[in-house]
Amino acid sequence: MGVRRGAYRWFVALAAACLLAAAPSPAAEKATDAPEGCLGCHGQKGLFFTFQNGEKLGVFVDAAKFQESQHRTLPCTACHSEFSEQDHPQRVFKNREHYASSSSTVCRRCHPDEQLRKSPVHAALLSGGKRSPVCTSCHNPHTIASVTKGAKFVSENELCMRCHKQALTATLRNGARIPLTVDTRILDGSVHAKLACFDCHFGFSSSQHPKRNFSSPRDFSIAQAEACRRCHFDKYTKNLESIHYEILSSGNLNAPVCTDCHGSHAVMQARADKLTSSKRCGKCHQEIFATYTSSVHGTALLQESNTDVPICADCHTAHTILEAHSRNYLEKVPEICGKCHGDATLMKKYGLYPGVVNSYLQDFHGVTLKSYQRQQADASAGPSRKDIATCVDCHGVHDITKTSGPTTNLVKARLMKRCQKCHPGATESYPDAWLSHYEPSLKNAPLVFLINLMYKLFIPFMLIGLILQILLHIWRYAVNR
Amino acid sequence: MATTSQGSIKRFGIGRILEHQANALVFAILVITGLSQRFHEYQVSQWIIHSLGGVDFTRIVHRLAGFLFAVLIVVHVAAGVYGVVRKRWPASMMVNLSDFRDAMQNMRYYFGITNHPALCDRYDYKQKFEYWGVIAGGFLMITTGLILWFPVPFAQFLPGEFIPAAKAAHSNEALLAFLVIITWHIYNAVFSPEVFPLDTAIFTGRISRERMVHEHPRELARIENVPVEEIITHHRGPAGGKTDAEE
Repeated sequence: MGVRRGAYRWFVALAAACLLAAAPSPAAEKATDAPEGCLGCHGQKGLFFTFQNGEKLGVFVDAAKFQESQHRTLPCTACHSEFSEQDHPQRVFKNREHYASSSSTVCRRCHPDEQLRKSPVHAALLSGGKRSPVCTSCHNPHTIASVTKGAKFVSENELCMRCHKQALTATLRNGARIPLTVDTRILDGSVHAKLACFDCHFGFSSSQHPKRNFSSPRDFSIAQAEACRRCHFDKYTKNLESIHYEILSSGNLNAPVCTDCHGSHAVMQARADKLTSSKRCGKCHQEIFATYTSSVHGTALLQESNTDVPICADCHTAHTILEAHSRNYLEKVPEICGKCHGDATLMKKYGLYPGVVNSYLQDFHGVTLKSYQRQQADASAGPSRKDIATCVDCHGVHDITKTSGPTTNLVKARLMKRCQKCHPGATESYPDAWLSHYEPSLKNAPLVFLINLMYKLFIPFMLIGLILQILLHIWRYAVNR
Repeated sequence: MATTSQGSIKRFGIGRILEHQANALVFAILVITGLSQRFHEYQVSQWIIHSLGGVDFTRIVHRLAGFLFAVLIVVHVAAGVYGVVRKRWPASMMVNLSDFRDAMQNMRYYFGITNHPALCDRYDYKQKFEYWGVIAGGFLMITTGLILWFPVPFAQFLPGEFIPAAKAAHSNEALLAFLVIITWHIYNAVFSPEVFPLDTAIFTGRISRERMVHEHPRELARIENVPVEEIITHHRGPAGGKTDAEE
């Protein structure tokens, strides 16, 4: 059952009514006369009716269009029953809605509820509340036609928008009401402007309007988000690996689905605007977002509109959002920070040293971490991986601070604390074992620098000497022969 | 110690032979597990670490081998000191002035300034160089290795910078040792024309009298209780110039 059959029956009923009306009778004679009398005034443009709230309603009726409508055989007074050739009472309406709702009761004289209920759309509207649209919201009484039959729409969307531009709502099983109104301006401004409604709303078409049965608005959102998969299959599968999907599939329906981050009709490229994108995560992760906004990155984004800084999705990715406390994710941290902090051009802009990531990776912890990642990639990884300190342990996670200025001591305190986590009993001098990303030089870590320098000279000296000895030995042996 | 049979002379007892083999094995393990950490970016290093089951296990193997190496070195030195001091072993490993003279003499010989090489004793200056390299380098490796193995206790009385310094010394010294072994030692024990295809002395414990004449004439003279000149003259022949039976 759908709009089509309901509308068809309705159409048949209307046609029958028209045939009856067209039969020669005194009433019919009168009917053909009446419009002309009214149209003497109402056939002219520029006439208005003023509501109590000052709003104006044009009272012009296009005679040509009326002649093509289903109602063409009806006299004006059939619907506008208070009016006659003699009587043109002064009427008072509060506003346009007031007028529409009162005039729509007229339609019910010929179109009883039993007829209307056969269409799922009409049935839903009949059981709707006071605010639900009335007949004239969708059907212009003077150009009335079946919504589908014989109607000429520029696009399928226009067909849907005939009704969905109205203040429609639907009642779900749990009693919640969801708005069914679509703002075409939002839709046209979205990246999906060129899509048809049916591209996402499966099952609906110019001839189909199935009755849906959702238990709650959330239920509806989750089901509807599945529509994205059809085009964005790569993102859909990435999401299947994410912590959000894991939470969702474990039964927590509050976990976000596509539309929670991207919007539905207002869908836009999430990357288009860094601030909006990060705020979107902040909708649920409020505390973390607040911490982020006070970090060196967050401050730059919010106060200076600096888009070089990372937002949530830059570190956590947009779709394959991993569990942030998982080993796999934590071991990726140097790589994630290195995307920017290893970029010489970008770091130069802020006067930062681009060798920080490499200095970490070349050190004991970095080597261990890299090795763990390779093991992990091989899937033969032993379970006995140690908890390795990475960038975030000293520099902060969401509260990343500058290492210079007043926060220097904070970073140092974090370093000390982090050392002690794995190296119990570490004393004050212990964190100095980490050269703080500095390349050894006469100024920083002179001992390390001198040892390296000595070997850099001594190894070649020794080796060249020994090889010369070997060559001399061979040469003497050859000469002696 | 020195008995003659079938033209060969006993050079090493079973203890020294086993000691060398143990050292060689431990050194190989240390080099493989250690240098693959130093050169961790190379494919072959990654393969080694990966095949061993990850960097943590590689480090366990390295430390275990390091411990064995330390035991070998310490026991060797202790036994050597005890032997020399208490049992009156000849201190044939000690470096003395004649080693420098021998080195100079050999240089002259290589350049054709003189017509006979240095007359060495039980251990020639090349062997002493290697021996003391292993002893000195060994103690350096043991010390720095311990600092890296137990950084927290060491940092209690050393500045923190000593830990990366120990790492720098440890890995550089390792590289030096490895390079010396694969060039100098392998040349002298394998590729040198005098021993090619292999110096078997450290496996059989014996060395031919012929080689003793060339390489350790002073020791041979002592064994045979004749003046060293006699050994040389006898072997070279009265003409004195050109050498021996090798062609």
